[in-house]
Amino acid sequence: MTFEPGDNVRVLPSEKPGHVRTPGYLKGKAGWIESLVGEFPNPEELAYGFSGKPERPLYRVGFRQADLWDDYEGPAEDCLYADVYEHWLEPGEGAPT
Amino acid sequence: MGGSPGGPIDRGQHEVEDWERLADAINAALGGKGLQTTDQHRRAIESLEEYRDLSYYERWVAATEKLLVEKGVLTSDEIDERAASIRRHWGEP
Repeated sequence: MTFEPGDNVRVLPSEKPGHVRTPGYLKGKAGWIESLVGEFPNPEELAYGFSGKPERPLYRVGFRQADLWDDYEGPAEDCLYADVYEHWLEPGEGAPT
Repeated sequence: MGGSPGGPIDRGQHEVEDWERLADAINAALGGKGLQTTDQHRRAIESLEEYRDLSYYERWVAATEKLLVEKGVLTSDEIDERAASIRRHWGEP
């Protein structure tokens, strides 16, 4: 696995066409690895009838809500957790928060 | 919707209609027969040109039709003819 729990990561700002499982509102956003969910066939290839192999690591990634939404009015500690495949992540900056 | 502004959320309950149950059942049956997978169905739903104008199960039905035609299981003509025949027999919905 490339990432460990606590690692800072950034979601790639890719505009890859077709079926992707990474929510658009997370693209380019910074977060941290919460845990490894497991390894699964790549849904972006399964969607077109391919095998999806090799399996890809899927991580639960944490984000601060205030980092995701302009004018977020909720408490500063509010977080959002999303499952993101490894090929959508790159190392982030700074120490784990 | 999808992280884009979508306006206020209608939190009202929606009574499930018979055709929606049928849409769900057909989807499960096609999955059981190996003719359709969830990932393929999601991809087909996302690629619907009329996505934002359709209700949840309308999207399911339109995407299932698209996949069955794509895979050569049914043709659009066969589906249209069957729909016309049902309409003649049972009347307009």
